[in-house]
Amino acid sequence: MRRPRLNSLSSRLLLSVSVLLLFFFGATIFVLDRAFTEAGEQARQDILDGHIIALLAAAEPDDYGKLVMPERLREPRFQRVDSGLYAELRHFDGPLVWRSRSTLGLDIPEGARPTLGTQAFAREFLADGTPLLTLSLAVDWELEDGDSQPYVFKVAESMDGFNAQIASFRGQLFGWFAGVALTMLLAFSMLLRGLLQPLRQIETEITEIEEGDRVSLSGEFPTELTGVARNLNLLIDSERARSDRYRYTLDNLAHSLKTPLAAMRALLNDRHDDDFDARYNEQIDRMDEIVRYQLRKPAAAAADKLVLVPVSVEKEIGRLVEGMRKVYRDKNPDFDVRIEKGMQFRGDTGDFLELAGNLLDNACKWCEHKVRIVVVPSVSASAVASGMILTVADDGPGIPKDAADALLQRGMRLDESTPGHGIGLAVVKDIARSYGGQLSIHEAADLGGAEITVSIPPVSPGKAG
Amino acid sequence: MRLLVIEDDATLRESLSRKLTEGGFAVEQAADGKEGLYFASEYPIDLAIIDLGLPEVSGLDIIKQVRADGHSYPILILTARDRWEDKVDGLSAGADDYVVKPFHFEEVSARVNALLRRSGGWASSVLTAGPMTLDMSRQEVSVNDTTVDLTSFEYKIMEYLMVRAGKVISKAELTDRLYDQDFERDSNVIEVFIGRLRKKLDPDNTIKPIETLRGRGYRFALERNQVD
Repeated sequence: MRRPRLNSLSSRLLLSVSVLLLFFFGATIFVLDRAFTEAGEQARQDILDGHIIALLAAAEPDDYGKLVMPERLREPRFQRVDSGLYAELRHFDGPLVWRSRSTLGLDIPEGARPTLGTQAFAREFLADGTPLLTLSLAVDWELEDGDSQPYVFKVAESMDGFNAQIASFRGQLFGWFAGVALTMLLAFSMLLRGLLQPLRQIETEITEIEEGDRVSLSGEFPTELTGVARNLNLLIDSERARSDRYRYTLDNLAHSLKTPLAAMRALLNDRHDDDFDARYNEQIDRMDEIVRYQLRKPAAAAADKLVLVPVSVEKEIGRLVEGMRKVYRDKNPDFDVRIEKGMQFRGDTGDFLELAGNLLDNACKWCEHKVRIVVVPSVSASAVASGMILTVADDGPGIPKDAADALLQRGMRLDESTPGHGIGLAVVKDIARSYGGQLSIHEAADLGGAEITVSIPPVSPGKAG
Repeated sequence: MRLLVIEDDATLRESLSRKLTEGGFAVEQAADGKEGLYFASEYPIDLAIIDLGLPEVSGLDIIKQVRADGHSYPILILTARDRWEDKVDGLSAGADDYVVKPFHFEEVSARVNALLRRSGGWASSVLTAGPMTLDMSRQEVSVNDTTVDLTSFEYKIMEYLMVRAGKVISKAELTDRLYDQDFERDSNVIEVFIGRLRKKLDPDNTIKPIETLRGRGYRFALERNQVD
């Protein structure tokens, strides 16, 4: 979820800049293209003008008062067949007088005739479709005898070369501008990256806090963001303090309730009145159970994942097993501990000890001799932190199916002679639930006793707890 | 056996101490952590019962200090904070077992006896050495499967010596550990009891369970039949 959110900010900016560049460069290309084309055409027209003047200079009336053109013209292209430069001379009425040699095999279109004494440019086409720029000049040629004859001089030039030139110009124009635009976009996106870097850093650090690798935001942000970072840190701190306070209050409450309960029990026992004792002890037991269960709620229940820290499973299980070895020294259970190297539980240390401690204690209480603890991570592709599957098995009598169901339903005692079995599992169930996990009870296939599994799912990004 | 009870709740502390005294232990009482730490460090103690939630110095700190000073007697913690975090912290600091409040006295008594026996190197609560058997839970001594009728004080001496089988125990230690503070001390009483014990356990003087080391004290001399 987080990547696209950040990207949308930068991609939005990049998109706007791209549109602006496209518009600006498009207009520039259009204007440059027009200017180049027009200048080119003007130059072509000037050249045609020059050719017409040269033709006029070369034309001579013959002895019969008719205009004739010399064998050779100064412009060699008129002589070369298919050179792309053509000329012809007509009587104003239409009949052809002369054609340049270059027109051999071609038919220059007659085109519109300008009025006498004027010249006109036109765009015409050869029969094969070659575009031509033509200039026609209609003159009234005065002869020596004072008579005059109307003639039309016409030069035409193939536009093929010119068009090719324009195309090549356009190609270059587009190429250069595309290059410049790309470079600019690249530079801009790098600039943007630099500018948005602090935001990315905040995001990374929040992820690290969520994953438990970091306690608070570093505070090394540009001035515009220090306020945000500070407030986030305050929020995280107050959330942590709240969670600590919650647990501290519960612990104190439990402590201050249970010592008087213990004293009451001691006082009762001093009375040496068995019936009275039994009845009151029962009430004390009930109160004790209520205190134990209700005040041992998971610490992380009220907490957001920002307060969670990684707990070294190996270390804590190690401490628990050492403790169990002391407490169950007479029984001396054989512990088989299998924990994936570097395995971590993301949550509250107290909660983890509560999960594992209750399961281990039950297993030690019920086992014949063997207790097995297996902890493996549960992973999913999208998770930011892996979950945990904690399985504790023993070779004791096991838990019958209906009793297991009852245990899972509520904190019911399975056996009055081992107090707290039910409460322990009920606490485990509550804690597992507060982490979105669950508790299941099976029969250990190889050991023959109970096998209790707590599965805590992996933490997905952006989802609490 | 001299026990130390550190508990700030007066009713609980006194009741617990009284019952332990009735059970044949000599009991020192401390009402806060500071006093408790003093007793725990300075007095000859066989076992300490320490509440974790104490004023002045926390139970956890007392345990750490006691262990840092090199005392190895067993420590039983009382805790009202039923979280495993607290229990594990206590056990890691050097405690040997825990009892959660509100406890039944029998639970405490059973743990205390088990810890004392273990600290003497016995794995089971039934200690056997040669033809002798001492059952701590039933407080019975038998020789060649015949129960010997002992008074509670005789049993205490026997248990103290047998739990520490092989070690020399001075008369002073015996009076110290077996009498309560205010009891009138007289080392002759110990000699009398030892004499009576020898007669009851070994009328024909063949197995010689208790050895006298002149000027040093007594020693339970039979080989243990079980090793921890």
